[in-house]
Amino acid sequence: MSLRAASLSKSYGTGLLSSGKCIFRRISLEISPGKTFGLMGPSGEGKSTLGRVIAGLEKPTAGTVYYKGSPLSGMKKTDYTAFRRRVQIMFQDPADAFNPAKKIGYSVSEVLTLLRVPKIKQASKTEEMLISTGLPEEVLSRYPSQLSGGQLQRLALGRILLLDPEYIVLDEPTSALDVSVQARILHMLKIVQAERNIGYLLISHDKAVIRFMSDSYGELENGQLKIID
Amino acid sequence: MKVKTSAVKTLLEVRDLEVSFQGVKTVTALSGVSFSIGESETLALVGETGCGKSVVAHVIMRLLPPESRVKGTVELGGKTLLELSEKEMAKIRGREIAIIFQNPSLALNPVYSIGHQLAEPLRVHRKEGKKEALLKAVSTLKNMGFANVGECINYYPSWCSGGMNQRFLIAASTVLSPLLLIADEPSKGLDRKCVAELEVELKKLKVERKTALLLISHDLGFVRRLADRIAVMYAGEIVEISDSSSLFESPLHPYTRGLLNSLPEKGFIPIPGFSPPLSSPPSGCKFHPRCPFREKRCTEKHPELKEIGRMSVRCFLCP
Amino acid sequence: MKEACAERGPEKQLIQLETPGLSLPRERSFRSFQKQENFLGKFNQGGILLLAFFLFMALFPSLLAPYAPDERFIPYEAPSREHILGTNDIGNDILSELVYGARISMTVGFAAALISTLIGTILGLCAGYFRGALDELLMGFTDVVLIIPKIPLIIVLGAFLRPSIWVLIPVLGFMSWESTARVTRSKTLQLREAGYVKSALCMGFSPSHIMVSDIFPNIVHILLPKFMLATASAMISEASLSFLGLSDISMKSWGSMLSFAFFRGGFIREMWWWYLPPGICITLCVMAIALIGFGLETKGEKYAGEGADKA
Repeated sequence: MSLRAASLSKSYGTGLLSSGKCIFRRISLEISPGKTFGLMGPSGEGKSTLGRVIAGLEKPTAGTVYYKGSPLSGMKKTDYTAFRRRVQIMFQDPADAFNPAKKIGYSVSEVLTLLRVPKIKQASKTEEMLISTGLPEEVLSRYPSQLSGGQLQRLALGRILLLDPEYIVLDEPTSALDVSVQARILHMLKIVQAERNIGYLLISHDKAVIRFMSDSYGELENGQLKIID
Repeated sequence: MKVKTSAVKTLLEVRDLEVSFQGVKTVTALSGVSFSIGESETLALVGETGCGKSVVAHVIMRLLPPESRVKGTVELGGKTLLELSEKEMAKIRGREIAIIFQNPSLALNPVYSIGHQLAEPLRVHRKEGKKEALLKAVSTLKNMGFANVGECINYYPSWCSGGMNQRFLIAASTVLSPLLLIADEPSKGLDRKCVAELEVELKKLKVERKTALLLISHDLGFVRRLADRIAVMYAGEIVEISDSSSLFESPLHPYTRGLLNSLPEKGFIPIPGFSPPLSSPPSGCKFHPRCPFREKRCTEKHPELKEIGRMSVRCFLCP
Repeated sequence: MKEACAERGPEKQLIQLETPGLSLPRERSFRSFQKQENFLGKFNQGGILLLAFFLFMALFPSLLAPYAPDERFIPYEAPSREHILGTNDIGNDILSELVYGARISMTVGFAAALISTLIGTILGLCAGYFRGALDELLMGFTDVVLIIPKIPLIIVLGAFLRPSIWVLIPVLGFMSWESTARVTRSKTLQLREAGYVKSALCMGFSPSHIMVSDIFPNIVHILLPKFMLATASAMISEASLSFLGLSDISMKSWGSMLSFAFFRGGFIREMWWWYLPPGICITLCVMAIALIGFGLETKGEKYAGEGADKA
């Protein structure tokens, strides 16, 4: 019942004339529910790309991603809808996670409408989310530009949790935040994982963060993954 | 209130600085900030985003927006900076005080080459010719330890990594050998390797060029190895000033203790609660809603900065 | 607990030219050089006023025109107290014709611009969002349309179809969407890499929802000025075509007035009160629209500077 990557490779710019630039080659890893796999490595090496491939946002040049045993490419529509809901991704830049032209309340209610939650129940679900992320009600009437990085990152997590995911790819979730806010976000992530048994793929360049959060981790260097632990 | 430094001559003195911004509501960004930096000394200003540390840098450089109201004094080597005319201030910027901001790729102009931008301060302030200025820029880069300087001169900022750009920025800011360099969150957004390189660069400035440094950061760990003294800011006030080893071994203010606990080495323990909005600060001690040791007097009276030996603390509970 | 948005003010790096303030001795404030902004603002306001006047002329012509446009008097009369701009070759009062002509000219202008902006936006959004084969196809199609010359096409069409504004408006609309499409496409390409678009994809929103709800609101500020400028350009094209005689005879626009003035002896008889006013009206109306479009463009740049660039 895990999210598994088998022999993933990704290159850009392959064509008749050039072999293109290889980002990573034959990467295999597995994320189990309730556990965290840490992906380490220097910036720009392709960790984010690997995260996006596993989350299904990009297609690999070779290899397959398996969700609940079935491969992603060629999945039936119903299976794919389930995958799309249960596997989510959280990005590094908190200000980028929300549409700057929409109020937070609207962004959240959009998701609830997508989930077919009836309008009557939307208010209570939104309140639940605010309580679990520890945010005051007035953030709903704010625009993203009026909130701090820490608040936005918590809101992003709250919004993802509305979908009740099984796996979350965390792409450098705290790199853009203060050290003191980082501590709070990491703790929140741990609590949420314990409560809901979510599997995390944690991508970070910070060894200390990886060691604190992960059950096992690997280092992506020169396109190859070295699994440690 | 004056904070005594040791026998080093004082270069920059800030006294009772108060900054507020007019708008729909008047926001007091800084209240009663006082500190001093000696020649060749490195003072770090540490605090969360929004506590006002960048405002301090902007006040010293006189870069505040028009809605700001400033009270207090800022003296650089005897000159009162806040009373100078814009023309005189422009002469001081770059030559006596230099500043580098976070996000180096944005601070460098993308359409000019690195060489051009490095030579610019020389052309503007010292009125040197194009060729001499460029040669000086080349020699500065060589001194910084860049390998292929001839190529680097013709690079554009978008071709280089963030770390390299930050080093170029430091080179551009220090080419005129300023007395004081203000670094506003220089390590934000850089990964560990770049931060290490940045540290080396700043250390070289300290030791070889004897530049005084005002280091502004949210990261206590980064600041630890570079700073001689550390000032901790919270909600627009300085809550503790101490020399760096004492701060890490025996922090006095509860907020400082909380900040140290959120470091990776101590286990990422967060401080409960949130930093207060500057438009409506809590009564009494501004930290009291989040303080595990608060007493009744903390909610009623506002503590002053007390001097204890060579350290200063703003807390009722610290003897 | 509120995070004051003014907190973000000091964090931005604003470097403005300052002059030392002249307030109280201990409190200092620094003014900044804002003259440049007000300068543009005055032009923008002028444009809005002028356009409002023309709109009023178009919507309530009976309030401004002294007579009905088809009422006949003595033809070829010079300006007098009863006919401020004289009469044309059939005897219609020129001032009334002018006022009623505003309606036609502006309708053609705005309608054609609406069609062109709509088509351009939809094509640009789809091309930019889906990329790949669809993008190539749509942009290739755009290039083909770019090559087709507008006015000769209308002349040819005019030979086969009865000239009427219901032919003119679609043709003008269908021939001028290329630049809107290209601008929309490039902005969409940029916006689709933003975190919130990728998050929306991840959460399972459909592409049409993302395009309408996430990308479109962030490009509106570019589309508005383009719409205004398309109106101006359509009005000029309409005037040229009317002058060539390809307009609806039953609906007299300013361009038709010019055409009649030319072909019915107004120029020869030096009846400046016949051919100058419509020309001036066209110029002023187009200028007003262009000023507003220009003002919107610069305001849009300021607003969009922070958001989309942080991708």
